[in-house]
Amino acid sequence: MQMFFQAVLSGLLMGGVYSLIGIGLTIIFGVMQVINFAHGDLVMVGMYVTWLLFSYFHLDPFLSIVLTAPLLFVLGAVIQRVTIQRVLGAASENQILLTIGIGLLLSNTAMLLFTSDYQLLTTSYSSSSFSVFGMSVSQPLVVAFAITGVVAAGLYAFLMKTDTGQAIRATAQDREAAQLMGINVSRMSVLAFGIGAALAGTAGALIAPTYYIFPQVGHAFTLKSFVIVVLGGMGSVVGATLGGILIGIVESLAALYLASGLKECVVFGLFLLLLLFRPSGLLGRART
Amino acid sequence: MSSAVRTRVPLPGVGASSLRSWAAALLVLVCALLFSLPFWVTKPYLLHMGVLLFLAVIQGQAWNILGGYAGQHSLGHAAYFGLGAYTTVMLFERAQISPFTGIWLGVLLASLVSWGVGAITFRLRGPYFVLASISVAEIIRLLALHFKDFTRGAEGFLLSALPAFQLGPLEIELFSKRPFYFAALLVALWTTLVSWLVQRSKIGYYLQAVREDQDAAHSIGINLQAYKCLALVISAGFTAWAGGFYALFVKFIDPETVFGIDVSVQILLTCIVGGIGTLAGPALGALLLVPLSEFLRNPKGLVQLGLLSSDSSLVRLVEERLSHAHSFVYGLLLVVIILFSPEGLWGLVKRWFAPARGEG
Amino acid sequence: MAALLELRQVCKTFGGLRANWNVSFGVQRNSIVGLIGPNGAGKTTLFSCITGYYAPSAGDVLFEGKRVNGLRPDQVCRLGMVRTWQKVRPMPKLSVLDNVMVGALLRTWSLRRARAVAEEQLAAVGLDRQANMLAGALPIGQRKRLEVARALATQPTMVLLDEVMGGLNPAESNEMIALILSLKTRGLTLVVIEHDMRAIMAVSDRVIVLNSGEMLAEGSPRDVANNPDVISAYLGQKVD
Repeated sequence: MQMFFQAVLSGLLMGGVYSLIGIGLTIIFGVMQVINFAHGDLVMVGMYVTWLLFSYFHLDPFLSIVLTAPLLFVLGAVIQRVTIQRVLGAASENQILLTIGIGLLLSNTAMLLFTSDYQLLTTSYSSSSFSVFGMSVSQPLVVAFAITGVVAAGLYAFLMKTDTGQAIRATAQDREAAQLMGINVSRMSVLAFGIGAALAGTAGALIAPTYYIFPQVGHAFTLKSFVIVVLGGMGSVVGATLGGILIGIVESLAALYLASGLKECVVFGLFLLLLLFRPSGLLGRART
Repeated sequence: MSSAVRTRVPLPGVGASSLRSWAAALLVLVCALLFSLPFWVTKPYLLHMGVLLFLAVIQGQAWNILGGYAGQHSLGHAAYFGLGAYTTVMLFERAQISPFTGIWLGVLLASLVSWGVGAITFRLRGPYFVLASISVAEIIRLLALHFKDFTRGAEGFLLSALPAFQLGPLEIELFSKRPFYFAALLVALWTTLVSWLVQRSKIGYYLQAVREDQDAAHSIGINLQAYKCLALVISAGFTAWAGGFYALFVKFIDPETVFGIDVSVQILLTCIVGGIGTLAGPALGALLLVPLSEFLRNPKGLVQLGLLSSDSSLVRLVEERLSHAHSFVYGLLLVVIILFSPEGLWGLVKRWFAPARGEG
Repeated sequence: MAALLELRQVCKTFGGLRANWNVSFGVQRNSIVGLIGPNGAGKTTLFSCITGYYAPSAGDVLFEGKRVNGLRPDQVCRLGMVRTWQKVRPMPKLSVLDNVMVGALLRTWSLRRARAVAEEQLAAVGLDRQANMLAGALPIGQRKRLEVARALATQPTMVLLDEVMGGLNPAESNEMIALILSLKTRGLTLVVIEHDMRAIMAVSDRVIVLNSGEMLAEGSPRDVANNPDVISAYLGQKVD
């Protein structure tokens, strides 16, 4: 029983990070209806940036988020403006292929710059843990979860309360109507992609102290983030938040009760079931 | 089939009539060349590249039937490639079944699996289908990695010596690359022929209708599920054959190499770069991508071919810094093609030859 | 005389929304039935229920005396009922001829025979000169005719036309009316959804009026046009 709660707890913490990734993807999809296959690679970029800042400037990974997030925002905005903007009207297959290409460029640039060696970002607290009710809880993951909460709350406030945030939501709900109301939908798309990238990068920064860092690390996140987004309902920030946590817990329990090598199988199997029987997600309304 | 006045727009991929006769003549010439190649070329590396090229053509033509004609962009074809490879190898290594039989059993297995996959995933449209296809391939890859007792997991299989191939009274030893070369060439031509036949048949028309507008196709009597599954089964069968052949040729397989998403991306890329939905596309794509990726992966190969000296700075540059650049180039090509020429190389060729289209 | 198409208390609900409710009528062979009603009345939904895109929540659809609810759209088409779409659906990257051939291939495996049928239907709708154009390049009026030709190539017994006049100028409308009437001469049975009242009056033998999913009125065109309930449902739109 103890192991069960332990697994749920670690799953919960990891799920927080997944949520952040999922929220980024769902915003991109909500505003542009683009399925961003490069999303996991944006997480990877965040990880590498954090590692570089740590290795060369000794910046604590959690603190360096204030640098990483804006950097990733700019990267995302540039990618959107230069490439994705041009295919917004094209067939969705072409959009997918484009983002796959971008993902390949990102991961292989990392490969060319840093080789495929596994990098480790070890801080003083990387392997520290708290003890909670007799369960061991990774310290960096707790901090990551806390930061995720703050970021998610901040994002939610931004989307709900600010003019720009509401404009983004309007664009996501009905692009044409938003345009007719005078919203610059192109700019909203750029913003959305930038925000999505920033969130992905932030997630990368948060897990950098506890994950191996290598160019292909993003791929595991890409498919998983789709599962989260579909689970929570495409375009729903709340849905992605809950979906991420749920997937984190499911994965953790699968590793415990089945096998570590099968945990992702369970998630992808769940994905197939979801696509077949409840494509609008547990919370969302379908918008395809 | 005459005149310059009629701007006939046949099914995409067949091209304007003058282009078609040129292409046919060229094809015959190229085939003659290819068949005779092993007799006047001595460097085995060239034959090696030839085999890889033909395999790429097989996989590309196979994928095209589903992705180009029917418009269902599967990114999970690695599943069938890998199933073909593992079935062939495992039946040989564990059950001593001749690989020349095993490869066909692999085709059978992959076809059956694909039929099941189609039954489940074709309810999904567009990007959802793409995501589902990736999931299926990933699940199979992870299972192959996990069940080590069955598949040897990440260790992979190293093939022991292959028996000779009985062709009637002939016994063909498989030590050299030549028999592989001819076999691959023949199947590449066969796959291209099948694609051509499908294109100019009722099946081809129906698949293209499905691609253009599924609901409209449904309303004029097309059984969507049946035809999409048909395309997938044919596609998976050929892909699995390529997988089995690859295993016998390269003699080592592991889950990452044959089930990995790279395989699926590569197949897709071949078709997109060459020209999706066209007969020439996979061939053009393979012609560009295979030598390129081979050079980047193995620059010493060009040295073997005598094209570069062994201490050339280019070779050293590629070896030291660009060892995985083939993947980078894939990404770059994908981005450039989608942004500037979504119809690929063949699209560029067609536009050059037959600029007047669509005016009635 | 038994009706070719019969609807018995057909209902279609989406959650709490009653898109169609207790719709019952029959369509006699070789007649043209006009189906009218304000926007959102459930006309296209009814077509989708008839042709297999939706399964009716309740009620029966009978074609040639046999129950067809629950069949797939392609099965319905094979039986002889074909529909066109309110928003035209040309297959844009196929040529006009190839579009219609796809329809014709329902009844044959031979491309040659399909081509012959297709050319015949293109001539019937007046698109033979555009046979080799890409369907995506056609203007709206010709796209509508293409869709009709493609439907006809499936050799149907009954054709369901969904707002085939939409977007046509007066000259094109007249041509379309003539085309519809010619289909009746060919022996086909038609149900026509329309907003263009002039067209409805010109072609229909009987008119059925839907409002908010339910049948409001039924009868000859003249009777329906003069029906006060119908007039008020259309918010006083005058009909002559």
